[in-house]
Amino acid sequence: MQSDLLDAVGLAITIHDKRYDEHPSVLAALGVGADFAAAQLSGIGGPLPDALAYQVPVLSLDLWTDDRWPELTLASLRSRAPQHESSWEHVRGAAAVPGVWADDATVVVCCTLSQPASAATVASLITYEQLVSAALIITAAENASAIADIITVLQSRGAIEQAKGALMGLVRCDAEHAWRMLRRASQEFNVKLRELAVALVEHISGAPAEQPDTGTPIRPDERTCEAARLMWAALSETPLAQ
Amino acid sequence: MTNSQFRMSAAEAEQPPVVTATGDIDLANVNEFSDVLNSAAADSDAITVDLSDVTYCDSAAVRALFAVAATTKLGLIVPARGPIMTLLSISGLDRVATVVTCD
Repeated sequence: MQSDLLDAVGLAITIHDKRYDEHPSVLAALGVGADFAAAQLSGIGGPLPDALAYQVPVLSLDLWTDDRWPELTLASLRSRAPQHESSWEHVRGAAAVPGVWADDATVVVCCTLSQPASAATVASLITYEQLVSAALIITAAENASAIADIITVLQSRGAIEQAKGALMGLVRCDAEHAWRMLRRASQEFNVKLRELAVALVEHISGAPAEQPDTGTPIRPDERTCEAARLMWAALSETPLAQ
Repeated sequence: MTNSQFRMSAAEAEQPPVVTATGDIDLANVNEFSDVLNSAAADSDAITVDLSDVTYCDSAAVRALFAVAATTKLGLIVPARGPIMTLLSISGLDRVATVVTCD
């Protein structure tokens, strides 16, 4: 897709399966795609939520000045995702194309461009949307639980990111280091990494980790919760100057 | 080329060919609509699509119009108010096609 849409600054494939999840999930993304999708879905609006809501292709020539989404501005994206500071400045147009691949299940292919989107952009995305929908239909036909599994993975990604963030704050390390600590602890305690991440977030916050209301929420067992307590206690006692 | 629902009139006096659609355009007949659009666009670098007598059109028609606008200069004639104009502005098709409204 990226080689065909040369001006793409970001791409995202978002699925919304109302049977498993109230909220749309980003299935795959490139560049600023994931952060742009999350920002649009957080309530400021944009081509992606409109394509989901109205089930029509949506095109924008200049996102930041488009009168359909007054809250979607360069300033709001800069403050939401400052790590893409230099990319947001180059963003001009965008297009989003929806498709339905099962009852109540929608997929939207959305791209962000460094120039105004054209009808040709929409025509390309229509081709990709058909491919993506076909792949989803085949996956769903082969294994009914596969789609639920995909959503579980997406769901655990959130908890892993939260756990990494907490570790980065506690130990003052970077994301890569936090990821290695999580992975090592999961191996040492012999527990699943995504369950450990959920347990850690729940231990720190003292409340259930936020998870979308899917068919199979992640519920760490007692052993995993104990591993999370031990890991957090050990790290909290470590003097900062080592 | 004539058809019960989609008619095409040939280009004349430097005016692009006009495709006139009537009734409903949906998944059931969007392929016919696309065929007429494509044959009109084949011999001309611009076409006009008159939707003023269309009673209903959905995402399928919007996709067909985006597809033809990707390769041809597209002009649209639509009722000034109503669901078709709403669909054009939600989708942004009104920003890449020349829209003329009628009453």
